[in-house]
Amino acid sequence: MSTDVNMASASQPVTFRTQTAYPLPSQKFMIPTTWRRYQLSQLINKALGLDKTKPVPFDFLVRGELLTTTLSEWCKENGVGEEETLEIEYIESVMPPQKMSDFPHEDWVSTVSCQIPGYFMTASYDGQVRAFDYSKNLVLGYAAHSAPVTSLCIVPSSSNGDGTFTIATASQDLTAQISEVTFASGLEASSSSSKTLATLHLHTQTISSVSSNSTGSHLLTSSWDGLIGLWDTTIPTSDEVPEPALNERDREGKKKRRKLQRDAEDEHGGRQAKRKAPLMVLKSHTGRVSKAIWGQEDENKAYSCGFDSTVRLWDTEHGVCEHTINASEKPFLDMTTTSNGQSILAVSTDRTMSLYDIRSSPSKSNPLTSAASAIFMHPTGATPSCVSACESNAHQVVTGAYDGIVRVWDLRSTKGAMATFKAFEGEKAGKKVLSVSWKRGIVGIAGEGGLSVWKVGEEKEDAGKTTTTA
Amino acid sequence: MASRVAGRKSTKRKQFEDDVDVAEDLHHNGNLEMLSDEEEDGNISSDDGEVDTFPGIVNESDTDPDDSDFSDQEEDEVDEDEDEEDDEEDESGEEDGSDDGEESDDSLHVFPKAKTIVSNITNQPKIVYPEIEPEYDSDSSTEEDPNRVGYIPMHWYDDMPHIGYDIDGKKILRPATGDELDKFLATVDDSSAWTSAFDKNAQTDKPLTSEELDLIRRLYAGENPDANYDPYEPMTEWFTGKGKEEIMPLSGALQPKRRWVPSKWEKQKVMKIVRAIRQGRIVPSKPKSTKKFEPYAIWSEPSSSHPPPLPAPKPALPTNAESYNPPEEYLPTEEERKAWEALDPEDRERDYLPQKYSSLRLVPAYDRFVKERFFRQLDLYLAPRVQRVKLNIDPNSLIPKLPSPSSLKPFPNYRSLQFRHSQSRARCISVSPDGAWVISGDENGVVSLWEIIVGREVKRWTFKGKIGSLAWCPRTDVCYFAVGVEDTIHFIIPPNVDPAVLTLTQSVLAPTTLPPAPATPSPVKWTTPPSNTWSQDTPILTIDLPASTGIPSHFCWHRRGDYLASVSTGGAQGGVWIHQVTRRHSQAPFKKIKGAVQLVLFHPLKPHFFVATQQYVRIYNLAEQKLIKTLLPGIKWISSMDVHPSGDHLIVGGYDRKLCWFDLELSEKPYKVLRYHTRAIRSLQFHPSYPLFASSSDDGSIQIFHSRVYNDLMTDPLIVPLKILRGHQISEGLGVLQVRWCSKQPWLVSSGADGSVAVWCS
Repeated sequence: MSTDVNMASASQPVTFRTQTAYPLPSQKFMIPTTWRRYQLSQLINKALGLDKTKPVPFDFLVRGELLTTTLSEWCKENGVGEEETLEIEYIESVMPPQKMSDFPHEDWVSTVSCQIPGYFMTASYDGQVRAFDYSKNLVLGYAAHSAPVTSLCIVPSSSNGDGTFTIATASQDLTAQISEVTFASGLEASSSSSKTLATLHLHTQTISSVSSNSTGSHLLTSSWDGLIGLWDTTIPTSDEVPEPALNERDREGKKKRRKLQRDAEDEHGGRQAKRKAPLMVLKSHTGRVSKAIWGQEDENKAYSCGFDSTVRLWDTEHGVCEHTINASEKPFLDMTTTSNGQSILAVSTDRTMSLYDIRSSPSKSNPLTSAASAIFMHPTGATPSCVSACESNAHQVVTGAYDGIVRVWDLRSTKGAMATFKAFEGEKAGKKVLSVSWKRGIVGIAGEGGLSVWKVGEEKEDAGKTTTTA
Repeated sequence: MASRVAGRKSTKRKQFEDDVDVAEDLHHNGNLEMLSDEEEDGNISSDDGEVDTFPGIVNESDTDPDDSDFSDQEEDEVDEDEDEEDDEEDESGEEDGSDDGEESDDSLHVFPKAKTIVSNITNQPKIVYPEIEPEYDSDSSTEEDPNRVGYIPMHWYDDMPHIGYDIDGKKILRPATGDELDKFLATVDDSSAWTSAFDKNAQTDKPLTSEELDLIRRLYAGENPDANYDPYEPMTEWFTGKGKEEIMPLSGALQPKRRWVPSKWEKQKVMKIVRAIRQGRIVPSKPKSTKKFEPYAIWSEPSSSHPPPLPAPKPALPTNAESYNPPEEYLPTEEERKAWEALDPEDRERDYLPQKYSSLRLVPAYDRFVKERFFRQLDLYLAPRVQRVKLNIDPNSLIPKLPSPSSLKPFPNYRSLQFRHSQSRARCISVSPDGAWVISGDENGVVSLWEIIVGREVKRWTFKGKIGSLAWCPRTDVCYFAVGVEDTIHFIIPPNVDPAVLTLTQSVLAPTTLPPAPATPSPVKWTTPPSNTWSQDTPILTIDLPASTGIPSHFCWHRRGDYLASVSTGGAQGGVWIHQVTRRHSQAPFKKIKGAVQLVLFHPLKPHFFVATQQYVRIYNLAEQKLIKTLLPGIKWISSMDVHPSGDHLIVGGYDRKLCWFDLELSEKPYKVLRYHTRAIRSLQFHPSYPLFASSSDDGSIQIFHSRVYNDLMTDPLIVPLKILRGHQISEGLGVLQVRWCSKQPWLVSSGADGSVAVWCS
C-alpha cells in the first residue's frame, strides 16, 4: 500500500473497483481531494507495482461520470460530503484519437467497411463501390448501381481465394447485389475486377442496409418499405424472379436501356447477374426499417430497428418477431450489438443512443423490458447517424453525427463522450458523418467529406472478462 | 348727612355772625348754597387751619399746601408774562389765596366760579366772576401767534419767501436766518441759546419756558413729568372714620301699597302661562335623566362590533444563519456573496451575510444595531392594526394553465440537417406522402429531390422561371409530384420507383387511351410527350394554363389524389383552376371572383372548398355548388391557411402577423387570434397525424404549437406554444417562406429566403 498519501489536506474516503485486469484489493483509501486523474492513476500503478515494469494509464469513473477535475471540485459539483465514501471505477485510458489519412471522394460516401484487413471499402452516392489499401491507393472502383449505394457489407466466404472477396451492396434502386471483387496486389488497379453474381429483388423502396452473418451464409436486407429480407448467399443457376413485365408502350424504350445495361453488366461480370428471391420476408415493422443485423452468438437471431421507434428481435429460423422493444418517439437510424453480443446500441433522431439489454434465456419468466438500460445524449444539432462498437471491448462504442463530430463513448460513463474529434477538415458547420466502422483499432469514417481514417486506441479486455463474472 | 348738615349750619351761623347781613345772605344765596359753603370752607380752612372740626371738607385741608405751591408758580408766571395782572393781584392781595383756591378747583371745573361780594356802591351783595385770563392752555392762547395758516405741515412754505399769513391776510415774511456761522455766534453770544428750540410756526428759535425745561428735566430724570403729581397722597376717607357713620334710614315714609299688593301684571303673565300649560301649548320639560352615571371598566370587554386589534408584529427570530458561528452550509459562496452585493438593498432576500467567527470573543460590535432598531420602530409604527382585505393574486395564477411543453413531446426542437440551394430563395417545398423524400424548388427554377434524413440530393430538375409551387400527389399507389412554373404545371415521376408503381403512375398520367375531350373546349391544354422520349429529366405531363395567368403559387391536392387545385397569382388574369388528372380536364370553379384569391383548400372529408381572398375565407359546397359560409378573420391580407385533418378547424395566417383559429362548427369569427410573430406570417401547416401545427414568418423563426382538438363538442381546442425554431437567416426582408410536415414523424421541413431548406427533428 502506498503510504505517502498526504493526510494533511482534506481527504475523501474512496474505494476502487475495476473490470480491468488490474484489480486492487477492496480497501478504503483516504485520497487527498486535490488529486486529479493523473495522481490517481499513479497511485494505482504504484499500488500494483506496475510503474516499475510498464505503467498503464487509467481513467476514472465516479458515478458514471468521467473524472476530469479534482476530486474536491467533483464533490462540490455533485454535492458529496466529505465523509461519504466514493466508489471509483477505473478503466484503462483511451489514447486520444489520431488522424491517419484522408480519402477524398467525389460524392458523399454512404458506407465504409474496414472488415477486410488491409483495405477500406466504401460505397458512395454516385453508385460506385471503391476499395483502398492502407497506402491510400485506389485498388478497385466500379459502378455497382445506377442509384446511390446505401449500404455495403463483406460476406465472409471460405471458398474465395486470396485477394477475392464477396461483398453485398444495397442501393436506392430497390435492389441489393452480391458481387465478387478481386483485389490485385500492388499498384495495378486495372487488374482488379468485380463481378455481380446476383441481384436481390424484394423491396419496393430504397434498401437501407444489408448485412451478412458471421459465416457468410445468409444476408439480411432492410428497406424503407418496412420489410426485412432474409437471403442465402448461394448463387442460383437461373433467375428466381422474372423480369418485370413491360407494358407495350414502354417496351421500346426499355429494351434499349436494358440492352445497354446488359452490355455494361457483361463488361463487369462477364455474365448476367441472376435475379434472386428472398428465402423469407420478415414483416412486422410499421415504418421504415433502418438497419437489420445478425445476432453474434446465436445464428438464428436477428435484430432490426426502424422509424417506428421499435427494436425487434427476430427468430430467423421461423421468421417471426420474438420480441419488440418499444421506445417512444425514437426513430432509430442505426444500431449495432456490443462485442459481447449482450446488448444493443441504437441511435435515434432525438439525439440519443440507447442501450438495450437483450440477454434472455428461453426459460426466463420475466420478459425483456422495453426500457433502455442507459441513454447517451448527444449535444444539440448532432443527430447521431451511425454507431459502431469496438470489437474487443464491450464498453466502447463510437458514433458519428450530422454535425461532423465522431464521439467515442464508454458505456459506463453516460454523462458524456470519452473523446470527440472532428472527422473532416474544412467548414465550420461540419460535414455529416454517415457511417463509421471500427475494426482493429482503426475507425473508418464515411460521410459528406469522403472517407477519413482515424486511429482510436482500444482497451484490451481479455483478462477483464474474468473479473466481470467474479 | 344729618351731622354734616348740622355742621354746615353751625358754620353758617358763625359766618353770619361775622358778616353784617346774615339773613339776607341766606335768602339770596339759597341756590348757591353749596358753592358758598365750599368757598367759606376753603376760606375758613385756609384761615384757621382747623381741619378736624369740618370733616366734610377734607379736601380743603389737602389742597392747602398745593395752593401755596400753585400760587408760587402762578406768581412766577405772572412775573414773567404780565405786569398788569401782577398789579391787580397785588390790589386784591387777600383774594389771592381764595383765587388760588378757586384756581385749584378750576382744574376740576370747566367754568370759573363766581364770587359774591358786597358792592361798595350799593352795599348789596353781587356776584362777580373772575376775569378771564388768556393762559397757556386756554383756547385763546394761540391767538397771539401771528401766523394764521393753521395746523398744516409747515414745510409747504419751505420754498416760499413767507411762512404764512397773519389775521389780516398779510404775508408773514420768513425771518432772516443766518448761515451756520451766525448760528454758532448766536450760541456763543446768547446764553439762552442752548435752552431754545426751533418753532416751526414762527420759523425761528424760541427759548423754552422754565416749565418746559422742567418737563424736559423730569423726563430726562425718569420722573413723572407732571410736577403737581404727588405719589404719596394721604388716603381720603369718605364714609369711614369718626362722625361719618350712617345711623338712621334716609326716609321714614310708609311702604307704598304696591309693595304688598300682588301685582296685577304679574298675575296676568302667570295666568297666561297657566292657560298655555292647560291647553298643552307648553309641555312641562321632562325630568332630566334620573339615571345616574355608573362607572364601568372600559378595558375589560372588547367591543363586539369590531374585530380585535391586531397585535404588533413580532420581531423576527434569529435563524441559524445569523449565528456567529453558523454551520458551513449557511455560509455564502463567493458567487453568492457577489450576487448579494450586486443586488440593491431592497431586493436582497436577507439584509446580512452569514459570517463565521471561531469564538464569540471575536465577534465585532454589531454595526447594524441602530439601523435595525430603526426598522423595528418603523415596523411598529407603520404596521396596520386593522385587518385589511388585501387582493393577493399570484401573477402565475393568471397565466392560463397550460401543460408543460416537455410533456407534449414529440415536437421538432433542433435542426438535424440543412440542404442548400445555391444563390436563390428556396420558395417551396413538399414532402412525399411516405415521408421519405423532400422536393424543394427555388427561384432559379431548380427543383431538387433529396432524402429527408440524409439530405443528399438525388435528382435535380431545372425549369425556366421561378418555381411557384410544388405538391406531391397524396396517393400512395402512385408516385409523382406537380411543379408549378410560369403558366404551366408539370407532373414529374421521381427516379428509383418500384416498377409496379411506376407503371401505374404512367398509366395514370399518360394513359394509352386518352379520355374523351370535354364538350366545351377548355383554354387549358394537357400535353404528354411521346412515350419514347420519356426520361426522368422531363415531365411526363404538362398542363398549359391560359397565357398570362401568372405563376401557379399554390397547389392543393384533394385527398384522393385525383383533383389538383391551383391558384395563379401575379398574372394579368389570375385564377383558380381545378384539374382532374384522370379525365385530363381543367375547370375554373368560379366564373367571377370577388377579390384576389390567395389560397384554396379542399376539405379533408367533405366536398367543401375553402377559398381565401385577401380578407375573407369563403367555404363552398362543391357538390351543391353554393356558398356555405364566409369567415371573417379580420386580417388585412391573408397569406396562408390550413385545415385541420379532422376538417372542423381552420387556421388562417396573415401578412399582418395575425393567426386566426376558426372552429368551423362555431361562428364566423375566429375562436382565437394569436399574434406572436414579429413579422408577416408566411406559411402554416397542421401535422397530418400529430397534434401539432407550425407557422413560419418573415422574422426568420418557426413556431411550433401543440393543438389538441377534442372529439366532444364541449371542450375547446387546446393550443400550447411549444418551441421557437431559429436558424434561418433573413434575406431582403424575407424569412422562412414555407413549412411542411413530414407525414409519419414529428419532423418539420422549412425553406428559407436564404436558400436553405432545413429539417427539424424531435
